Amino acid sequence: MKYAALLTTNADDVAAWERMTPEEAAAARAEEVPKWEALFAELGPTGALGSGYELDSPTTGRTVRVRDGETIVTDGPFAETKEQVGGLMEIEAEDLDAAIAIAARIPVVHRAAVELRPVIEH
Amino acid sequence: MQYLALIYGEEGRWAELSQEERESEMSEYMALSQESATVGGNELDSVATATTVRVRGDETLVTDGPFAELKEALGGYYVFECSSIDQACALAARIPAARHGAVEVRPVYVDGGEPS
Repeated sequence: MKYAALLTTNADDVAAWERMTPEEAAAARAEEVPKWEALFAELGPTGALGSGYELDSPTTGRTVRVRDGETIVTDGPFAETKEQVGGLMEIEAEDLDAAIAIAARIPVVHRAAVELRPVIEH
Repeated sequence: MQYLALIYGEEGRWAELSQEERESEMSEYMALSQESATVGGNELDSVATATTVRVRGDETLVTDGPFAELKEALGGYYVFECSSIDQACALAARIPAARHGAVEVRPVYVDGGEPS
């Protein structure tokens, strides 16, 4: 089965990230990279990982609505929740338990959460 | 550069549409899927099927449901390849759910500190 894994970030992490200097941000990323590399090294060959998208911070997003034929674009994310979508990975797993085991390996799962959603195959 | 368009809408709405309305909306989604700027995307099963996973310490905590309870649920996404966020927003405005829900357009992060 195919699942979309929504990788969340929490607002405090996003705020901390935005306060960092470019050097600090680069150092923080450098710390994360080996964790991701380990995940891909282990699961890449199994075919469990499909396309992945790491998103820029929620404040860089825009929300689009169309009402009565008029397009209304506002800055920022759709919902002001403590956890925001920070990335999305498509994963292939035999069943939900297998998907959960993969989700538990995604680095952000320690600080925030990973929401698994079955994909409807057309 | 790439943009992720997260599509939010009221889940019960689809069931209330007539066959004709569904076909009309579906053809709009199909047309967007065939745009050259559309490089990915999926429709998601209902929020009732969502599972949220957290790991704290050594413990894996699994809960039913989405990470955030919203009135409008995430129902799917597109990935657009566009030269600007304005262009991505113009595509997002063509998503039927933009007319009753909302579409969140997010730049995909490109390593090196700045979106390409």
